[in-house]
Amino acid sequence: MRVLADEFSTQINFITPLISGIADGSAFGLLGLGLVLLYKSNRIFNFAQGEFATVAAVVAFLFDRGIGWLPKLPYFLAIGIGVLAAVLVAMLTERLVIRPLFDRPKVVLVVATVGVALFLIGAEGLLPYPQTASLRTISDVLNVQSYVTQVDGVVVLDQDVAKLIVLAVLAVLAFLFFRYSNTGTAILAVSQDATAARVVGISVERVSMVTWGIAGFLGGIAGVLLAVPPSGSVTPGAFTGLTLTIAFSAAVLGGMTSLPGAFVGGLLIGLIQSFANADHSFVPGLNSLPAAQNEVAVVAVLLLVLLIRPRGLLGREA
Amino acid sequence: MSVLEVHDLTIRFGGLTAIDNLSLAVNEWEIVGLMGPNGAGKTTAFNCITGFYKPNAGRVLYRGQDVTRVPPHRKAAMGMGRTFQNVGMVKSETVLENLLTAQHTKAGYGPFLALTGASAVRQRERDLTAHADAILELLGLGAFRDRRLGSLSYGTLKLLELGCALASDPDLLLLDEPSSGMGPEESHELGDRLLALRQALGVTMLLIEHHVPLVAAVCDYVYVLNFGKLLAEGDPEHVRNHPEVVAAYLGGEAPEALEQTEAPAEQAAAAEELADAAPSEPASPAPRRGLRRPRKEAS
Amino acid sequence: MAAQTEVLTGFDHLSDQGRVSLRGWALRGLLLLPVLALVLALPYQSDEWTNDAIYAAIFAMVGLSMNVLVGYTGQISLGQQAFLGIGALTAANVVNTGTTAADPFTFAIGILAGALVAAGAAVFLGAIALRIRGLYLALVTLVFGSVTADAIFTIPSLNGQDAGIPAYRPTALQGNFAFYVFALAMVVVCIYIDVCIRRSKVGRGLIALRDNELVASAFGINVLGYKLLGFVLSGAMAGLAGGVYTFWSQEFSDKNFTSGAGFSLALIFVVMVVVGGLGNRAGVIAAAAFFALLDPLLTGFAHHTGWLTWYTDHKQYVQNIIGAVLLLQTVIFNPGGLGQVLRPFTQWFSGKRFSLHAEGDAAGAALGGGDSVRA
Repeated sequence: MRVLADEFSTQINFITPLISGIADGSAFGLLGLGLVLLYKSNRIFNFAQGEFATVAAVVAFLFDRGIGWLPKLPYFLAIGIGVLAAVLVAMLTERLVIRPLFDRPKVVLVVATVGVALFLIGAEGLLPYPQTASLRTISDVLNVQSYVTQVDGVVVLDQDVAKLIVLAVLAVLAFLFFRYSNTGTAILAVSQDATAARVVGISVERVSMVTWGIAGFLGGIAGVLLAVPPSGSVTPGAFTGLTLTIAFSAAVLGGMTSLPGAFVGGLLIGLIQSFANADHSFVPGLNSLPAAQNEVAVVAVLLLVLLIRPRGLLGREA
Repeated sequence: MSVLEVHDLTIRFGGLTAIDNLSLAVNEWEIVGLMGPNGAGKTTAFNCITGFYKPNAGRVLYRGQDVTRVPPHRKAAMGMGRTFQNVGMVKSETVLENLLTAQHTKAGYGPFLALTGASAVRQRERDLTAHADAILELLGLGAFRDRRLGSLSYGTLKLLELGCALASDPDLLLLDEPSSGMGPEESHELGDRLLALRQALGVTMLLIEHHVPLVAAVCDYVYVLNFGKLLAEGDPEHVRNHPEVVAAYLGGEAPEALEQTEAPAEQAAAAEELADAAPSEPASPAPRRGLRRPRKEAS
Repeated sequence: MAAQTEVLTGFDHLSDQGRVSLRGWALRGLLLLPVLALVLALPYQSDEWTNDAIYAAIFAMVGLSMNVLVGYTGQISLGQQAFLGIGALTAANVVNTGTTAADPFTFAIGILAGALVAAGAAVFLGAIALRIRGLYLALVTLVFGSVTADAIFTIPSLNGQDAGIPAYRPTALQGNFAFYVFALAMVVVCIYIDVCIRRSKVGRGLIALRDNELVASAFGINVLGYKLLGFVLSGAMAGLAGGVYTFWSQEFSDKNFTSGAGFSLALIFVVMVVVGGLGNRAGVIAAAAFFALLDPLLTGFAHHTGWLTWYTDHKQYVQNIIGAVLLLQTVIFNPGGLGQVLRPFTQWFSGKRFSLHAEGDAAGAALGGGDSVRA
């Protein structure tokens, strides 16, 4: 909603973009976490990450509404099954696609994930459900007010708060996991030298399976949190097409190897995009920028970062 | 007139000084050796000379021209050919295609003309192919003309790499361990081949080599590096028996560097004597002796 | 296997020196006829086929453009649709016909301008590629693709807003079959350029730098310059395809290139180039034609088996699955792609012995476990 004001209004020019920026940013960050995880462990971009999210959302939707011969289940159970479905899909991908290609150049693996994404989009599309629908929000389900509070007249949605909290929690957990747990260390070991890891007794196959399972889990969580109104839906490919581009940017900005970086990067990208897209009419002459200004802003920042500092703001390798 | 001169070359990587004030010279039609234990900085020196690294200090002069900052592909066009320690060729192409690629600077047509498929281009391609065949003939690799590199033995690959370095009619050849992976007979053949190439083509060479018999047979002059610094220089005989060179190799590396003329016990005794003796100034290099073969008439 | 090859020898009519006899060429020409028939006669018969064939031709050109960039130079690009769009947009704007047919001269300028402007944009992308490699480059090209589409194609003064810009063909090419011949001619131009590239120092330079930049430098190849050249050539071909595209649909509408549509194109192009076999001309053309014709073929099939309504509702997803399965199958089991499968035939047609064990192309190594494609 563009209300043009000729003067700077805190509410319109700052709070609104700020809040929506954080909300979007949390979404980007959530998707970015899974990407960074897989990059850290397999050194590839997983093109199918967005579809892991969609799979979870679609399955949750199917069980939440009870479509076809599926039983209608309570919301939180449906969500749980959705996330489980994402985990399963991810592990199947690992077993059937990633494992056979383990020794190939990384680019080949990336291309293969493109194939997986395409396949999932197709499979989802063939399922009989209304594709433009959305999942219910948590506040809907719990039958509470949809917003937590208002800041200067701008609502802060429950769902958005949930996104932010979940993102923060997961980012911290992931960071701790890699730093301090045995499995986390094993994953890093395999990512650096699979043969050496094998020699010291790490089962590369199991590590690979676990890694992708976690990535599926992260994607699934992202999916069920994001596929809600106003902007989310359970459309096949929705997450991949639109959000993945930006989620990649978030991961790069934060550094493809940094989990907290995905967190920070996602929020940053959300904020940049939001402020770029906001009303600038209080600055004389700035009102007539084209509608795609937010994307250009994001890309400009992304490119600048990559060119100056190829490892991202928080990452540790180029 | 010198073909290559290096003055006070220095390069540092972080805190490590890989090459420290190195100076050397290669004169027309000479074959000069560059020796030293592993890690002495020989390949680093090559990389500086050919432009893959930018030195922190010092100059590289090619026929009197300062080429220190010239990028590798332009140096290739100027007449420097080089081989790599791990065989450096286009692995996905055939032998013939590699030889054609190596003639890139001598192709005689620009990229945009190439796109038109003009007959001039096709004629030049035929010429390049003929030249490539000539090189295959010269090195006895004719049988492998259309084979992919993956199916060739290491020795054949090394020889082919030499062929690629020769393909562009270079004035100066920089060879990085051309005899690695070769047994004594093959090295001997290589030595003969290098001498024959100099005779036939008039190329000047700078070799990184570990194999002492080869160096002795082929090089007119030798520089020895250790820890990035020039340790000794002179003709092969002088350098071989130079105390500091012996110490450097004994202390560091494989017996490959030493000829098996002395019994091990004597070697150990010699080492002990050296260790006891105060470090001496490097003996002044023997006067640079002339080429082993009569000079080729200037063409 | 040896016995099988024995039986097949002798019909390629190769002399001892490996030269094809007159009879050999005649035989090859004869067997080429059905291919020509398919390519020319079928579209001549039916207008529908012509339309599909033009679409296939456009895809073939894009495939060839990616062949240069991904196959030879080894740069991964997921933004090729941007060059297609730039070519289309430029051509449409140059011609700017309103309601009249374009005059042939302006038309030619339009097509050329499309190629040139796209080549220019490619320089820009190429310059970025010099600093960024492999997977990050993939990301950047993806973003470049979508941003170009969303930022440039949506400028109202260029795209005529909702109505799109009309781009009428010259009177001579008004007929569908006539335009198809033109499109085919453009494909032939691209093939010719590709052949010239491959048989000259340009192609060798690109492949060398893909394989090993240091060695390429040592051979005298200006790596930076040639990388840019790879992008420029690729962009020019895709831009040319864009020009053909816009005159085929006789308008430019940004909806065909932005957001979802653009991204779908990007994906199709990647699948096409991989399934075709990286760096393999015949394979890429075959794969491009296949994916362009997939929809019409499936529609026809659905029509005959009574699944038409279901198919029409779900066509995008069916094609996705088919494309995905082919892609995965190629990557995992058959890295040389269609090109590898067609190799015995293309080798034979070009005058060599027929052999089922034709050695893989240089770029077949790109997918199959070599480290050719830069990562």
